[in-house]
Amino acid sequence: MEESPADLASSEFSSLYAENSRAIYYLALRFLGDPQKAEDATHDVFLKAFRKLDQFRGEASLRTWLYRIAINHCQNLRQAWHDRHMFSNADDAVWENAAAKTDSPLRVLEIKELGQRIQKTLAGLPDEYRLLLLLVADEELSYEQVGALVGQSPDAVRGKLHRARKAFAALFEKTA
Amino acid sequence: MKQQTKLSEEQQQQQHAVEQQTQQQSAREFANAEEMLRYDAAHTTVPPGIAQRLQKSTGQPGAPPPRSWWRNLLGR
Repeated sequence: MEESPADLASSEFSSLYAENSRAIYYLALRFLGDPQKAEDATHDVFLKAFRKLDQFRGEASLRTWLYRIAINHCQNLRQAWHDRHMFSNADDAVWENAAAKTDSPLRVLEIKELGQRIQKTLAGLPDEYRLLLLLVADEELSYEQVGALVGQSPDAVRGKLHRARKAFAALFEKTA
Repeated sequence: MKQQTKLSEEQQQQQHAVEQQTQQQSAREFANAEEMLRYDAAHTTVPPGIAQRLQKSTGQPGAPPPRSWWRNLLGR
């Protein structure tokens, strides 16, 4: 039996969800810091994707396209909450002087507490660093793709990543 | 009495060994932040409720988006 266009669209969307839902949910969870908000955001992101799937021009990968929708959505949410705890780039000096070394391994004694410690650490980082680390952690994305998502060149991404790692390590130690 | 003490010591040693093993199993090192986040992501479960909600929301593929809330409010 031949599939109708609607069925086809539906099965394509199912594959899209199966392949990308973890990445999008994880980004939303760690960016927003709230499981319920992350769940709502993930639903909304995929619903937007479903409605705009025919507008996807194939210039980027589907994963990158979904990330773009997710980043915009999460940033809008955060802005709407009038989050006053955001840092600007002017605070880079704080992280530059942080005691932690980038090349030191991050040691965790209790894996079960890892999620909470990561969340605390990310919450203390500037939005830019948080987003950068979350995107670079996705092995499916190249530096070029991460750069395109955050509006930076691949070289700038590498430079900022170094500082973001340092900041993360410094804050992570404090969560122990 | 002595036998009981010995048994208790053995039990304590066993318990200590189990605790050590558990701690070794849960301890882990990550080279950098991304590696840690990757591990965390791989162990994060996507709530099944999202797929269920999406199924409802996209129940009619190709259907026009719902009326905006303000149109509903104003009855336009």
